[in-house]
Amino acid sequence: MRTGPIARTGRRGLLYLALTAGGLLWLYPFLWAVGGSLKSDDDFFATGLDPFTTHPQWSNYSQAWEEGDFGRYFLNTVLFAGGTVVLTVLATAMAGYVLARTEFPGRKAVLALIGATLFLPHGYTIIPVFDLIQRLHLLNTLWALIIVQSASGMVFGTFLFMGYFSTIDRGLEEAARVDGADFHQVFWRIMLPLSGPMLATVALFSCINAWNSFFVPLVFTLSRPDLHTLTVGMFTFLGENSTAWTLVCAGSVITLLPIVAVFLGLQRYFVNGLAGAVKE
Amino acid sequence: MTLSAPGLRRRPDPAGTPEPAPVRRTGLRRRVRAAGWSYAYLAPMAVLVLAFVVYPIFASLGYTFYQWNGIGSPSNFVGLANFRQVLHDSIFWGAVEHTFVYAFVLVPVQLLIALMLALVLNNPRLRFRMFFRTVYFVPVVTSAAVVGVVMQLMLSNFGDAAGSLFAGTGLTGSHIDWLGDPHTALAVVIAIGIWHTLGYNLVYFMAGLQTIPAELYEAARIDGAGPVRCFFSITLPMLRQVGVVIVVLAFIGSFQVFDLVQVLTGGGPYFATEVVNTYIYHLAFGGGSGSGAVQPDVGLASAASFLYGLLLILFSAAQVLALRRLGRRRAGSAL
Repeated sequence: MRTGPIARTGRRGLLYLALTAGGLLWLYPFLWAVGGSLKSDDDFFATGLDPFTTHPQWSNYSQAWEEGDFGRYFLNTVLFAGGTVVLTVLATAMAGYVLARTEFPGRKAVLALIGATLFLPHGYTIIPVFDLIQRLHLLNTLWALIIVQSASGMVFGTFLFMGYFSTIDRGLEEAARVDGADFHQVFWRIMLPLSGPMLATVALFSCINAWNSFFVPLVFTLSRPDLHTLTVGMFTFLGENSTAWTLVCAGSVITLLPIVAVFLGLQRYFVNGLAGAVKE
Repeated sequence: MTLSAPGLRRRPDPAGTPEPAPVRRTGLRRRVRAAGWSYAYLAPMAVLVLAFVVYPIFASLGYTFYQWNGIGSPSNFVGLANFRQVLHDSIFWGAVEHTFVYAFVLVPVQLLIALMLALVLNNPRLRFRMFFRTVYFVPVVTSAAVVGVVMQLMLSNFGDAAGSLFAGTGLTGSHIDWLGDPHTALAVVIAIGIWHTLGYNLVYFMAGLQTIPAELYEAARIDGAGPVRCFFSITLPMLRQVGVVIVVLAFIGSFQVFDLVQVLTGGGPYFATEVVNTYIYHLAFGGGSGSGAVQPDVGLASAASFLYGLLLILFSAAQVLALRRLGRRRAGSAL
């Protein structure tokens, strides 16, 4: 408390030093992976835990992309994540809107139902889901991944949109109705464009979750290597080429970098979504 | 259109109105018809949730009575034999134990680190605080599967480095196989789990800290309270509500751990890191540590997941009750 300015500056300096050192340690696995992806095989074993290399081997990336099939996995992941984002955002925005702004018989029952699913343990129901997908003849298609992945994000997204739409001024809606706008025009022309920040939040959540999803693509593309996503591709690549370590590192950078970049660009929406969810 | 102002319509009142029944029924039908587009907009979400979240919970119950390899339709009815087998399977109980150890070590350690970091980063006079928050948050947005692979590679290199270090002291052999040794594997998996999802709790705690009015601290400081006193008398009690949510979410997440374990160890070595979700996966889809040739048995897997689901519901209920009681007591003593 009663410390002089020098002691305070010193303490502040120590704090910055600790935070920086901790941060470097925290990010070290990523730095090491980037370093490893640029090393030659000999270098990889010789330098061990040192992430730096004097002779970067950019060819590791082209090799992983083509021979390691990471190009195909990348395309699959983009389609999978893109489809999931579109389906999740549309379905949850529409549902959130009618639950927040319209009154209809059964509304309370729907709210109770989706509320209850939040407390049920997920993940142990994969077998009936697998069976259902099989009976819908969607097994081993990207559609199966998109539908199952989207379904898992429905409740969370609906709650977020519901909360957001219920805060929008009712006067806007009524004014539009007076001007002759119908149900659809009110939603698509007025409410949806007004929900920009929430659209970004839900889109970012579903994008990150789909990009990183492992269990769903693993189960539904088990027998179709050509449909593997990046995460599953990494796993099988490691199983088949356990010694191609520099390529594995290149593959992991190909997988991690795009989603980290997306996050850094839009992190405000992600963090706000998380903070809002926990405060309610 | 008749549904021009659904927001203004009287709330439906299914019980307690003294209207005669026929009138009410046509009233309900009219209301349902008038709200047609509401149902249409709700449908995509409702169908996906019903088909892929609600239905599977009940459907998995049906499989538990069959011995079934997952191909075709289940026909070999075995009654309760699957439950009996799971309950007598030491690997299942081992998996339950590992999952609980994972959760009960990870959650307290992670929350403690996250809270300390949040307190530091919450200081508005600290420069670059948002930058530091991003740094500590980044692992959250990376895939557990890929992180697992990178960690696996790094650890085997680290094993060499640490091994040569220890070799100098003559304590141990040349190479430490962190993930291959049944004594260290689970601890390593837990440490990586703490690192990977800490960012969530950091953001949660920072959000919680921001809801505490600054006047409280000012008043306390005027009254002569030091930082330690402020922490225990203001920060902790004020974080109670958010804290309960954070603890519940952290436990729910930990009990569902799969990706990290499957990629890091596949449940091995010798089932030392087998958690319930990898156990179920190995039962349903084959594979697994040490027992590669086992036939998939979906009935057995369903029975295991049903029992585990039951266990989790019991745990969640107990947890909510305990935390609520704790919250009430603290609230009482603070007054």
